[in-house]
Amino acid sequence: MDFRFDLIMEYLPFFLRGTLYTIGISLLGVIFGTALGLLIGLGKMMKNKLLAFPFLLYISFFRGTPFIVQIFIIHFGVVPAIIGTTNGIAAGIIGLSLNSAAYIAEIFRAGIQSIDRGQMEAARSLGMTHTQAMRHVILPQAFKRMIPPLGNEFIVLLKESAITALVTVPEIMYWGRAMQGKYYRVWEPYLTAAVIYFILTLTISFLLSRLEKRLATE
Amino acid sequence: MIKVEKLKKSFGANEVLKDINAHIKQQEVVVVIGPSGSGKSTFLRCLNLLETITAGHVLIEGVDITDKKTDINKIRTEVGMVFQQFNLFPHKTVLENIMLSPLKVKKVEVSKAKEKALELLRKVGLEDKANAYPDSLSGGQKQRVAIARALAMQPKIMLFDEPTSALDPEMVGEVLEVMKQLAREGMTMVVVTHEMGFAREVGDRVLFMDGGYIVEENVPNELFDNPQHERTKAFLSKVL
Repeated sequence: MDFRFDLIMEYLPFFLRGTLYTIGISLLGVIFGTALGLLIGLGKMMKNKLLAFPFLLYISFFRGTPFIVQIFIIHFGVVPAIIGTTNGIAAGIIGLSLNSAAYIAEIFRAGIQSIDRGQMEAARSLGMTHTQAMRHVILPQAFKRMIPPLGNEFIVLLKESAITALVTVPEIMYWGRAMQGKYYRVWEPYLTAAVIYFILTLTISFLLSRLEKRLATE
Repeated sequence: MIKVEKLKKSFGANEVLKDINAHIKQQEVVVVIGPSGSGKSTFLRCLNLLETITAGHVLIEGVDITDKKTDINKIRTEVGMVFQQFNLFPHKTVLENIMLSPLKVKKVEVSKAKEKALELLRKVGLEDKANAYPDSLSGGQKQRVAIARALAMQPKIMLFDEPTSALDPEMVGEVLEVMKQLAREGMTMVVVTHEMGFAREVGDRVLFMDGGYIVEENVPNELFDNPQHERTKAFLSKVL
């Protein structure tokens, strides 16, 4: 088997630019997904079942359908309905945010509910409102416990972002497919893509374990 | 100071408090005893609305806390509570635990809150632990911090929910000592406890609860030495 390193070198600038796109849309997906996920998680925890239902539905829908279906709906349906034309990058960021929000909402809910009931009671008995107790007592403790599952979710999200290649986001996998189409070669583009993704996920894992250790010793 | 009228509390179909009437006067130390499941903790938790009240009224200094218009957060700043499981905030230092509510609820200045917190820590004998985290403290120390934390809001009433039940025996004394000191200073206190010695020594009045009712109440010596009800006698014969 001949392995054409020269082709990889030729495509490397594209892969590197693609890596920036992958990091960019994943990061935006994580940020929006986390903010949205917190709101949806709190929404699902509301005592009023009727008010909580839309949030339950949201989570069920996004966890119960494939990401590729969701992103196609957003890319060919939702985004054109809003801005009049398709936009792959917008669809990619929206898709990743909405999808990860559903998973992150469940991580938040589990994290918050894992905190002993006595913490809320103590905070309330000191005169704090529910919101103050959440903000100063419950959430800081819950966040610590959420770091490992959130880390997993970030890694999943980064890998899922490869699917946005199918809606023309010029990220890593997009250039992999372009290279395959141009040279009719398989190993070079996809092994390169695999190595880049692997480096990215390893980096996240490393950063997260550092963060966990630092918080553990605090 | 606290008036309880025809208080009822149910958890689903289970009626835990059936008809509670009580009047706790200023500077009085009322000790609540009774077998487990008698509703004494639930009764205490109704006094600051940690439990929703099914029926009846609780008046704190004349304000009906069962009234929907009452700002319960305001009332709670005047009614401190100490829990069996301490419930210190593990992500905050001892000092931060004590300062949190004065800062966030009462909007006290940081320097004043700190000064007050240190003063309270001196009072409970834990000044050297100001910057420690709760995890590094013994049970008795944790409970003393919890008392200081409740006192930092300068409450008029203190509720104690089995404050020594989760402690190793050798640490019970240090916590009771702090509570005795509080009583001497004239704090109005309602204490749910199994410490009969404390009830006798510090209590102005003892309520014996069983099956969701206050079965008997009296001054400690009378209640312990000369119980009137069969159920009180049966309970005391087991614990004394």
